[in-house]
Amino acid sequence: MKILKKQLLTLGAESAIYIVEYWGMTLALKWRPSKPYVHNEIDNVLRTSRTSRECKMLTFVRTLGVPTPAVHSVDISNHSILMDFIEGQQFKQLVNTSSKKKITSLCHEFGKLLGIMHMRDIVHGDPTTSNAVVDMQSKMWLIDFGLAEKNATIEMKGVDMHLLRRAYETTHWALQETMLESTMEGYVEISGDDAEAVLSRADEIRERGRYH
Amino acid sequence: MSLLCLGLEGTAHSFGAGVVSSKGEVLSNIWHMLSPVEGGIHPREASRHHSDMGPGIIKRSLEDAGVSHSDIQLVAFSRGPGLGPCLRTTATMARTLAQKLAVPLVGVNHCVAHIEIGCLESGFEDPVTIYVSGGNTQVIAFAGGRFRTFGETLDMALGNMLDVFGRTVGMRFPAGPSIEHAAAEGVDYHQLPYSVKGMDLSYSGMLTAAKKLHLEGVPVADICFSIQETAFGMLAEVAERAVAHTKKNEILLTGGVARNNRLTEILKGVAERHGARFHRVSPPLAGDQGAMIAWTGILQHQAGDELPLSSSHVMPKWRTDEQDILWR
Repeated sequence: MKILKKQLLTLGAESAIYIVEYWGMTLALKWRPSKPYVHNEIDNVLRTSRTSRECKMLTFVRTLGVPTPAVHSVDISNHSILMDFIEGQQFKQLVNTSSKKKITSLCHEFGKLLGIMHMRDIVHGDPTTSNAVVDMQSKMWLIDFGLAEKNATIEMKGVDMHLLRRAYETTHWALQETMLESTMEGYVEISGDDAEAVLSRADEIRERGRYH
Repeated sequence: MSLLCLGLEGTAHSFGAGVVSSKGEVLSNIWHMLSPVEGGIHPREASRHHSDMGPGIIKRSLEDAGVSHSDIQLVAFSRGPGLGPCLRTTATMARTLAQKLAVPLVGVNHCVAHIEIGCLESGFEDPVTIYVSGGNTQVIAFAGGRFRTFGETLDMALGNMLDVFGRTVGMRFPAGPSIEHAAAEGVDYHQLPYSVKGMDLSYSGMLTAAKKLHLEGVPVADICFSIQETAFGMLAEVAERAVAHTKKNEILLTGGVARNNRLTEILKGVAERHGARFHRVSPPLAGDQGAMIAWTGILQHQAGDELPLSSSHVMPKWRTDEQDILWR
């Protein structure tokens, strides 16, 4: 692979994202470097399985109509994926600068996208506002599918919704009720009667980890 | 002028009493942990332990600090979260003392106290805290006026998982130190379920799989080694996610499981990678004890917080993020 320009965009929990120029396009290169402090076998299994899983899931949910970056190439042995670079802003950042009306409509969309995935038994695995990008045309894209899973059960979907609620609580505390409400509206719009079982499971999960 | 606070801790298996000054000097910190010969912790037995041991521990704590009852200007107690019977026993002692000494009473959140005593010791101002014990596994950080739980276990606490596995192979409670000891002799890694969901994690699948390995005759040392590597690797990942998400540059490790050296080594690696400072709270201040309650009581009191006796009921399900942190 011949990369003309490479610039580090973010260092996440398990990956580094570079902006690269390749084939005359600006693309994103996601690389999962090794973690010397984690046991070697665990590290290798995770880097390999998540790279392969992310690649598959990005492509699969796209066919359902969930906007995700297109995958251009994958290098499993190097644990890297070359994909579209979505020019836009993280949803997390937009919440701080947008009008309430705009936030509500983005949350609604976020809920719809999760609903579409859940209806096909896919969970995202880390549905936070860091993992949604809004482009110049206000279109929402989902990214970061390394923890996504298929054949999802009610429990797994419940966890997804629990994580989403918690992300609002910890990061957007001042707006959490409004944001949660609009997200749920979008979610229910897509998943209809199936939503209830998932959402009540999410409530149950919320109480589970604590000692009472 | 310095103010002296007596703090009582009794949320679960341990009862502790500590005297701390408003300058942040820990003058005494005495505690005792219930350690049954077999089995785990029963709430009723634990509360009995607290009422039996409590008065003596309080007395020793005052003696150790070189102060008398009349020097105490504030009484703080662990109001929650925790086991109901234990909390009530401790609260009763605190109310009685406050009334007898005619000093204000403050109700402290146990999880918040772990963080604050860690900040006092480390000098950290705004850390991502990894709080791991028999009852809790949480990743907490301060945001918008409150300590918020960014991640936590979806089923059992890390320390509880270690204890339950330890019990299966004949180790006494708490099993963490024995497991760490055995793990040092482990050679072969056996794959166990690695379950991370966003910033949350789950340990129950790992426990089942580890018990199965034991039944299959895998050496205990190898299982302990595999449990540690997997369980701590998961914790490292959620910690890393929290640091990347919050962009904070301090990592604080606390709670009973903070004693584990392998866990510390892994989290140091995380801190290094993200350019963050790291501190492990020293064992006397990392476990459940009264000094952390006393210190947090002082912070609360200085921010104007006082709890009238009539509304000083305990809060077994008190969430970390339910309290406005007025002093930060």
